[in-house]
Amino acid sequence: MLRVEHLRKVYESATGTVEAIGDVSFTMAEGELVCVVGPSGCGKTTLLKCIAGLLRPTSGLIEMDGQPVTGPTPSMALVFQEYGRSLFPWLTVRGNVELPLRHKKLPRSQRARMVDDALVAVGLADAAKSHPWQLSGGMQQRVAIARAIAYEPEVLIMDEPFAAVDAQTRADLEDLVRDLHRTRGVSILFVTHDIDESVYLGERVLVLSTSPTSVRESVAVDLPADRDQIATRALPRFTELRTHVYGQIQRAKQHAGVPSAVP
Amino acid sequence: MSAPPRVRPAARLRRVVANVLFAVGLPALVLLAWEVLAKAPEDAVGVEKFYPGPFTVGAAFVDNWTGRAFAEDVLPSVYRLAIGIAASIVIGIAVGTVIGLARWLRESTEPVLEFFRAVPPPALIPIVMLLLGINDEMKIAVIVSGAVWPILLNTIEGVRGTDAVMTETADAFRITWWQRLWFLVLPAASPRIMTGVRQGLSVALILMVISEMFASSSGLGYRIVYFQRNYLIAESWSGIVLLGLMGVMLAVLFGFVERRVLRWYHGMREVERG
Repeated sequence: MLRVEHLRKVYESATGTVEAIGDVSFTMAEGELVCVVGPSGCGKTTLLKCIAGLLRPTSGLIEMDGQPVTGPTPSMALVFQEYGRSLFPWLTVRGNVELPLRHKKLPRSQRARMVDDALVAVGLADAAKSHPWQLSGGMQQRVAIARAIAYEPEVLIMDEPFAAVDAQTRADLEDLVRDLHRTRGVSILFVTHDIDESVYLGERVLVLSTSPTSVRESVAVDLPADRDQIATRALPRFTELRTHVYGQIQRAKQHAGVPSAVP
Repeated sequence: MSAPPRVRPAARLRRVVANVLFAVGLPALVLLAWEVLAKAPEDAVGVEKFYPGPFTVGAAFVDNWTGRAFAEDVLPSVYRLAIGIAASIVIGIAVGTVIGLARWLRESTEPVLEFFRAVPPPALIPIVMLLLGINDEMKIAVIVSGAVWPILLNTIEGVRGTDAVMTETADAFRITWWQRLWFLVLPAASPRIMTGVRQGLSVALILMVISEMFASSSGLGYRIVYFQRNYLIAESWSGIVLLGLMGVMLAVLFGFVERRVLRWYHGMREVERG
């Protein structure tokens, strides 16, 4: 469904050119939950912005259902890391979730139903009339997730969404993402720098190299679909996988500066 | 039991009285000092005639600004002020938004705007009189020529300062141009816009008076100069009192609107302060 081929992004500035993304290729099937991890500063956010059509790649191809992506498309919705700056403080929770739906030509009642449904799905049915700044960080990120799923995208793109919330809230939000993936069947591309999180959440983990970025390995996560913060993380297989991914990232860092050959 | 301590009615009454005393205390003292220092009109000698007491000015106020004078001088002034302020707000926000959104326009207009802003608006009055004649339009034009700048420049800054992540959010969700303007750009700029409007209001009041002092047959400015030229000192002072009251009323009205428009902003600030 989503196909990224030989994606390359070079930033040009007065001080010279920086090759943020070297050569990234991967595909994502419908209904998949793919996590992207990589060493810090490896251009994860640049990659996401290119895929979402917010940045124009220097070369390469991004295809969604066979159509090249040249700008933001209705088949993708984004959840940003900075929830505080991504939600509009002058709108209520309801207003925020509703805003992207306004230009979809829908009857008012249907729009209201979609908003209610999304707020129930993230457990915020009672907070609809609050303003985002009246909520905790974790709840604000739930609003951003509700806004994204109400938009009914084919792919939900999440850019380190839980990097700024505390550990317990983070566990809850991870389970929410798993839940939405299973109940709504939406495909999710989840970028994180947290190796444990990527293994716990993903069906597949894409390990990136350092900048200029390429895909080092695509690790299939063969853990049971029913995941649990305590039981799953205690499985020997979970430990094996996270050790493997961790090792890959360590090796990526050691090879920093040398473009890694993709087998 | 952790029930909140009940405030006894007597204590509450005492607090209300204390608050009222605080609020009216200083004005009352000022009035008292004024009355003690000023001479009664019949005893005033020489320059003392120029400082009538509060009762004299109060009587002049009632005689000159209520009834027919209200319709002949106060209402025309209020009308010019209201139109001038409304036009300044509309022009300031509209032009400021356009300039704020387009970087090339911002950079190319900046020196020109700085120049126009630096010109003292009263200096325009003789020229505007030639262009528009001696009428309401001329006075409104003078009010706008001064009051529009703080609104315009603050709007430019506010629009320019729209958060990059919010803009990206709007891009990603393909929010349409008009919705972006209405739900993102203008609300994001609204704290700055309101700051500009607040400054614009005081400028507008000043220019209303000045434009009426120049060439006019009605209005507060005209009437104050008329009184002064005819040695009606208390009457002149009463006009100044009326201007002060108008300024206060404008501020109260502005505060009322601002609290509604920026409710989210004040709420957010309060949360941030903890």
